[in-house]
Amino acid sequence: MGWLKRLVRSITFRLALLYTAIFAVSVSGLFYFVFWTTSGFAQRQLEAAIQAEIAGFQDSYDRSGTAGLVMAINRRLDPSRRDGAIYLLVDQVGTPIAGNLGSWPRRVAVDDLWVNFNIRDMEGAPEEIAEARALQFLTRDGFRLMVGRDIRESQQFRRQLLQSLNVGLAVTVFLGLLGGFVFGRGVMRRIEGITSTCRSIMSGDLTRRVPVGNANDELGRLAQNINSMLDQIERLMRGMQQVSDNVAHDLRTPLTRLRSRLEAALRKLEDPQQIDVIESAIADADQLLATFSALLRIARAEAGLQRNFIPLNLAAIGEDVAEMYGPLAEEKGLSFTAQFEPGLWAKGERNLIAQALANLLDNAIKYSPEGGAVTVVSVLLKGKPAFLVSDTGPGIPDEFKSKVLERLFRMEQSRTSPGSGLGLSLVQAVARSHNLEIKLEDNHPGLRVTLTFSEALLAPVKIETPTSLPDAQAA
Amino acid sequence: MQTQHVSGSDVAQSGFGPIATADPRQKVTVLAMRILVIEDDREAAEYLVKGLRESGYTVDHAANGKDGMFLALSEPYDVMIVDRMLPGPDGLTIVDSVRKSNITTPVLFLSALGEVEDRIAGLKAGGDDYLAKPYSFSELLARVEALLRRAGTQPENTFLKVGDLEMDLLARKVVRQGKRVYLHPREFRLLEYLMRHAGQVVTRTMLLENVWEYHFDPQTNVIDVHISRLRQKIDKPFDKPILETVRGAGYKLEV
Repeated sequence: MGWLKRLVRSITFRLALLYTAIFAVSVSGLFYFVFWTTSGFAQRQLEAAIQAEIAGFQDSYDRSGTAGLVMAINRRLDPSRRDGAIYLLVDQVGTPIAGNLGSWPRRVAVDDLWVNFNIRDMEGAPEEIAEARALQFLTRDGFRLMVGRDIRESQQFRRQLLQSLNVGLAVTVFLGLLGGFVFGRGVMRRIEGITSTCRSIMSGDLTRRVPVGNANDELGRLAQNINSMLDQIERLMRGMQQVSDNVAHDLRTPLTRLRSRLEAALRKLEDPQQIDVIESAIADADQLLATFSALLRIARAEAGLQRNFIPLNLAAIGEDVAEMYGPLAEEKGLSFTAQFEPGLWAKGERNLIAQALANLLDNAIKYSPEGGAVTVVSVLLKGKPAFLVSDTGPGIPDEFKSKVLERLFRMEQSRTSPGSGLGLSLVQAVARSHNLEIKLEDNHPGLRVTLTFSEALLAPVKIETPTSLPDAQAA
Repeated sequence: MQTQHVSGSDVAQSGFGPIATADPRQKVTVLAMRILVIEDDREAAEYLVKGLRESGYTVDHAANGKDGMFLALSEPYDVMIVDRMLPGPDGLTIVDSVRKSNITTPVLFLSALGEVEDRIAGLKAGGDDYLAKPYSFSELLARVEALLRRAGTQPENTFLKVGDLEMDLLARKVVRQGKRVYLHPREFRLLEYLMRHAGQVVTRTMLLENVWEYHFDPQTNVIDVHISRLRQKIDKPFDKPILETVRGAGYKLEV
């Protein structure tokens, strides 16, 4: 029920809830207005009918006196008319003369001219107590006339109306809430889409675009704007990459020419001293070329062409690189330990991963003092494959730990040692394009670098020589 | 046809006459082999052609894809150096056509595109080697020589002999002056590569690409350490060293 939790927390859901509440209030207002007008109309109709009848009785009384009135009442007491009409005419002492009510009701609630009372003893009336609404009328000779209507039906109608309105309101609120949920989830899904796209763009895939959906609504417009912003960022990045590529290339071309000229000059020289000078000049040119190549490599590694990634056997790469650097460590009088857990696979570009590991090992060997120890291992850390490279060198002070990953940053004490200062930046670039996590820690003494892959791959099964398959592409 | 015959074809009409190299320090004679350079960048082509000519090759140069295609399909060459990005048909198309015409001349691709996928595309199209720009001329020369050599030998030879050094690839056995030399697997492969290219300069990058099968930049010259270990075994116990360092370029196994 993770989505429910997120739903309740999300803005869209709260908006939907507020919307539903406002909607419910207005709908109930509307319903009660309908109720009051409908039930009021029924009552007014009933009252109008009573008033019309009284006018008729008045007529009969005026024309033929009490006898006429009694006749008129009896005429109306036709049993075939079952409209719930109530009539009662009593004399001065309250003896019923005519009508269908046994006696004058004892308790009447007077509402203006109207009286409301319970009927018990009406002729043919149902056994249960009925409610009635009536008008009283006093004749000139002291007789009292009551004309009313049994209002059970209309009250039942009122109750039924009220009930259906309540049910209707409940259904409306429920549907509103449900709509809010659905609407909220729909909107949330679109926002989630935007978020996840942004996340994958941050991990280096600048070609991704936010799904636009309906281009005319706010989210669609937001997505469009994000996309055009991304287009612009991509254009700028391309431009910057182009510029740095061009600069590196433009500088490399004359450098290459310089080197060629020196090489040509070297071939014509005989004096060993002059040869020495030219050879060290060539070495300098090579150093410069190597730096530019490293910068270009970083740019390319950062561009991170993830579509070229293939499953890699990390142990195989680790062994290759360790085998390559082990002798260098031993030459320096360092103890060198390499241990690679078999069966760890991850996606990547073989040469870039090897380059990153090689740079880490190169640094570890470079900075470890004689008699020190360099260790390289691959392990599974919390379900994720990782390379660990540790040395017993001076380590990196905490304040420099993030800076050493930047391009060309070198700590003052390391300026004297050879290298372009791009080794760790290249590791960082590879890490960025491969979604690797780099951790620099104290090894007490020395530095321990952990390079963790974002996910482990299951080792491919149908492989006869596991080390050669992923390598085949680069070979 | 705007083809520039940079090297005078009068140097070696047949293309196979032995001539002296321009390098007075290396008193080596090479066969004047014919090389076709298809490169549109004028300056790059000029240096390339000049350098190759100084090294004793006969060079034809085409400045665009159309001329390059024509020459590649009509003239016999020993090696073709093809830029990947060309006006007219590009390098891949040219080499593809060349291979479809059953011409097996080794091809070295030159490209500013150094990505692995570009390399694979180049090799798939029928290229034999791939060199990213900018390159040092010695690197290019070493690779050209390796390609020339490869064209003339059977690569599946299981017994190699260079001077008094012998390698039996089936028995995984190395013997120098009758004495058995024990090598680690990588040292064995390293020596095998050097022996297959005996007498030629082999660069560190070539070793990294062919012996370790990686395309990356080892920060330090790790290769040198492996070479020095190999030397300990094949040179040190013997009176005459045969594994030579060529300064500014690489290594060479003396014939």
